[in-house]
Amino acid sequence: MSRIGRLALGAAAALALAALPWLVSDFLLSLALTTLMYVGLAVSWTMFSGATNYLSLATAAFFGLGAYVTAWGVATLPWPLVVLGGGCAAAAFAAAVGGVILHLRGAYFAVLTFGLGELVRHTVTYVEKSRFRTVGRVLTVTPDATTVYLTVLLVAAAAVAVAALVRRRRLGLALAGIGADELRAQTLGVATRRVKVAGFALSAFFAGALGAAVAVRWTYIDPPAVFNPFIGFQTVLIAMVGGATTLGGPIASALVFSLLTEVLRLRFPYAYLAVLGALLIVVVLYVPGGLASLVPRRPPRVEPASASGAARG
Amino acid sequence: MADPLLSARGVTVRFGGLLAVDEMALDVRARELIGIIGPNGAGKTTFFHTLSGVLAPSAGRLLVHGHDLTGQAPHVFAAHGVARTFQTPRVFRDMTARANVTFALSFAGRRRRHAHDVFDDARSILRFLGLGDDADRVAGALTPSRQRLLEVGMALGARPEVLLLDEVAAGLTERELETMVALIRRVRDELGLAVVWIEHAVRALMGCVERVVVLHQGRKLADGPSAEVARDPAVLEVYLGANR
Repeated sequence: MSRIGRLALGAAAALALAALPWLVSDFLLSLALTTLMYVGLAVSWTMFSGATNYLSLATAAFFGLGAYVTAWGVATLPWPLVVLGGGCAAAAFAAAVGGVILHLRGAYFAVLTFGLGELVRHTVTYVEKSRFRTVGRVLTVTPDATTVYLTVLLVAAAAVAVAALVRRRRLGLALAGIGADELRAQTLGVATRRVKVAGFALSAFFAGALGAAVAVRWTYIDPPAVFNPFIGFQTVLIAMVGGATTLGGPIASALVFSLLTEVLRLRFPYAYLAVLGALLIVVVLYVPGGLASLVPRRPPRVEPASASGAARG
Repeated sequence: MADPLLSARGVTVRFGGLLAVDEMALDVRARELIGIIGPNGAGKTTFFHTLSGVLAPSAGRLLVHGHDLTGQAPHVFAAHGVARTFQTPRVFRDMTARANVTFALSFAGRRRRHAHDVFDDARSILRFLGLGDDADRVAGALTPSRQRLLEVGMALGARPEVLLLDEVAAGLTERELETMVALIRRVRDELGLAVVWIEHAVRALMGCVERVVVLHQGRKLADGPSAEVARDPAVLEVYLGANR
């Protein structure tokens, strides 16, 4: 599909999705919201981790931080500012810790990012208890369901658009180079540390914004609910099942995953997680490149460095 | 004599108790073609790593165009015009040959002005290397010798002034070796780069370069025109062995 074709398709999909609140039942709208949330999370995860092979389990930390920005600010601040604030808080946190932990690779990085979620969760718990004498918060003033849905749609769409843009830019090229061979990329002029921190923070922004937007669905917020490691695992799973180096894969995978989870949950309320786990194993064993690898595609293309001609002067 | 492009002064590398490189000094001037040889474990590759910023020396200084880059990251060296290849070719296997060179042009090569039109784009660099027909092939599918050439192409994409070649002749057939030697000369003669070439295959190197540096146990044993170094008794003793 041509670039314009894909743009048109994306815009049409976003418009159609924006009309959902007036077309479908509350149940379906809630399902659509969960799906969009995972689209946004998986795509933003892929932006950094898929490209660089730095497997991050920190999504829960970013998501939870965003949720807590909502918990603290939703009653007093305008809604767009709350969501933006959630994203910025997560991005700032990612940039701060990224500078310290992004020289670790492989299992060390994965374990450390998982630990980040726990660290933030316990810190928030401590602050809430010692300063505000509370273990959780009841959200009384919240936007209506349609606003929340449209917000999540907007953030997810922005994540997809930014991911598509990054892939075409030097940042995306640098991230892919880091994933392919970090030292080589560095000796060819990539400021790897800066690029990694930027990618990590950008990816965290969307996770944080989604956390902030989705948080109001729960009327009661406490750290175990929003810093749920399951959110991080689920995100990684969706992205890997879809094909972590592609853009379309994680989107398709998030759709399949959310719908499948819902169907399985309704049919096998006690065994659905086991079934999901089994499906994952099958995918990892037999479709290691993810769902996206099942679709024949053109060889990866890089934008010609036509800018180089102009940038020589 | 003109100021050196790249200058190593008293460069020392210690790994724990092991002294891998001991007070090495090397000046690389414009359009020089230098070979570095030495027996296994002489510290050649370790020294090379310091020249490209891959490894920070334990002591000593590295100057590029007079700028002190000691302890800086490799991308800073690349930005100042020092590009390198690796012993085992490190190409981006999933990208096309063209994309590999484009990558270098998009980063280190992006702001570096260069006189020669070979450096215009990936296509002309690939053509210079004789890889014009492989432009759209995925790098991982190229033969090992072509991957080596491509890696030189990636280094050229950085639009360097000094090209560091780490055992580019390793594992090449006689014919491929000839091609590589001819290419290295053309890089200097036609593109006007300074080349520093580390090699195990001494004969090919001696026939190609004008100046040879011999490393032995981390120290510089000899440094001079190839013909002289080849007759140096100390070099014959440690490096070429018994047949004096």
